[in-house]
Amino acid sequence: MRADPPPNDDKDSSVPDRSAGSPVRSSSLGDTIAGWSDREDEHLPPPDWGRPTGPRRTATVWLFAAFIALMGAGHAWLSDRLTHEAFLAWATIFTAISLQAMPFLVFGVALSAALTAFVPASLWRRVIPRHPAAAVPVAGVAGAVLPGCECASVPIAGSLIRRGVAPAAALTFLLAAPAINPVVLVATAVAFPNRPEMVVARLVASLGAAVVVGWLWARFGRSGWLRPPRAHHDPGASRWTVFRESMQHDLMHAGGFLVVGALAAATLNVMVPRDWIAAVADMPVVSVLVLAALAVLLSICSEADAFVAASLSEFSGTAQLAFLVVGPMVDLKLIALQAGTFGWAFVRRFVPLTLVLTLLFSFAVGGLLL
Amino acid sequence: MNRIAQGIVLVLLGAAALSCTLASDLYLNYVQAAFRPFLAAAGVLLVALGVIAIAVDLRAAGPAAADAAEEPDHSGHGADSHGHGHRAPGVAWLLLLPVVAVFVVSPPALGAYTAAGAATAPPRDSAAALDDLDEDWGDPSEPREMELQEFVMRAWTDQERTLAGRTVRLTGFVVPNPEGEGWYLARLQMACCAADAIVNRVLITDQPEPPKDSWWQVDGTWVEPEGDIQDIRDHRFSVAEMAEVENPPDPYE
Repeated sequence: MRADPPPNDDKDSSVPDRSAGSPVRSSSLGDTIAGWSDREDEHLPPPDWGRPTGPRRTATVWLFAAFIALMGAGHAWLSDRLTHEAFLAWATIFTAISLQAMPFLVFGVALSAALTAFVPASLWRRVIPRHPAAAVPVAGVAGAVLPGCECASVPIAGSLIRRGVAPAAALTFLLAAPAINPVVLVATAVAFPNRPEMVVARLVASLGAAVVVGWLWARFGRSGWLRPPRAHHDPGASRWTVFRESMQHDLMHAGGFLVVGALAAATLNVMVPRDWIAAVADMPVVSVLVLAALAVLLSICSEADAFVAASLSEFSGTAQLAFLVVGPMVDLKLIALQAGTFGWAFVRRFVPLTLVLTLLFSFAVGGLLL
Repeated sequence: MNRIAQGIVLVLLGAAALSCTLASDLYLNYVQAAFRPFLAAAGVLLVALGVIAIAVDLRAAGPAAADAAEEPDHSGHGADSHGHGHRAPGVAWLLLLPVVAVFVVSPPALGAYTAAGAATAPPRDSAAALDDLDEDWGDPSEPREMELQEFVMRAWTDQERTLAGRTVRLTGFVVPNPEGEGWYLARLQMACCAADAIVNRVLITDQPEPPKDSWWQVDGTWVEPEGDIQDIRDHRFSVAEMAEVENPPDPYE
């Protein structure tokens, strides 16, 4: 990681008019790292951060140099001193969720940027029916084809809306894709080897909930609730520029919120004792609600949640189903991502609606099939 | 967050992913081994994207464009102006947390602390997934290596009790038993990442308790319980021989 800044370093020196008033003028980044020891009192972020004073670009580079040096020092100093078990377990789970979601986020964002940059808007209008009520089931079934988890589907749905797809259809896709894609269904079949009905129940309940949410949104939703994802590029820009810029934009917006979700999920994972959960396993309705709540809080990736559900074997089939149906559509990580992409006004309405419908479908399908 | 900061954050995040997959085996503490190529590819993509973003930003700040690019930003956090000056919301700074977690904290694999509180429910529905033990077992007195996960599943679900009397070699770490005699040899089983880890464990009562979180390889036999095998809370293991091992490279099963 310390190898990365040199390219900007030589570029830096080629910019003539940045040195005036700069605190760092002629030093190179290498000096920054070497001379770290006398800058230890630097704050992150510094008090003048965000104010347009002088050449901020140089200041930014310096700030990161200090940050990297601080990490190096922190690693050397802290590694033997961090022994608190609960903190380390928390840190492990936070790192695990972040790293596990990262490939999905990066490739989801890349796919969504590719949709924005390379697929003409007219294609969407041809493939997806114009009328939202007809477009919603098409989008739901389309979700069954594309492998990917929650983290990938949010930016993709955003770019679909940008391309003129009816928001209700894009939202159905957002809900359906992580819940019923082939990878998830195979994982469910593996986790419940003797109970193929669990796979069917998951497919039916998830698709049903996603489509009904889409229809309700098409009927009652207002466009003002959804912060319109902007087309964040110059109209004249080349396709690659559009691709790169929208990928960077989505990563910055969704990524930060993904970290928020990972923080919350790791905290709950460590703080909520499993004994409490096991204690309610025998109560019929409460156990379903508890597993649904657990799915929301734990924010496990939809490709892994079946294994966790299978391990909660004290619970009834309906409760396990609720865990599988609610989790991919409503969880902390996803709520944070949606807030970052579509805004809180959207989340405030969409999340409760989805939660209620996923629960209804879990009870109904669980009662019929399990 | 200005554009060069965005670029550097992307590079750092990619570097974190690369350093824990390619430069070390640290990623095994957090995710499945199968994740390695995906994490590495994501890391490469992030670094490339960040480097390009930095380069583009610096070029835009060249002599001619310097003044234009240094436009003051009158937006608060969150909102970003369009075109080249566009900025990321403040929450994007949180992307540095995983970087700090990997480079500074480098948390270890989950161990006894988690195993003591994690779900221990056996997969009782999975009996059909087991092969017949008699095939290729060989000499029944020779210990055979078995994952704790498989051992526990057989102990709980195999109504034929074919495990009885066979010498098995298990590897796991020590978890104290707060509620009584003996200690657990445990192993965490991970489906996707450490957040979904569940514990498999056997109770050992015929050996003195080694230090918590130390790793051991134990040879011994299943203590066949009286009564229904599914009603047992923890299956017992009778140890013939045990030896301390270095932490296995992949701490999870």
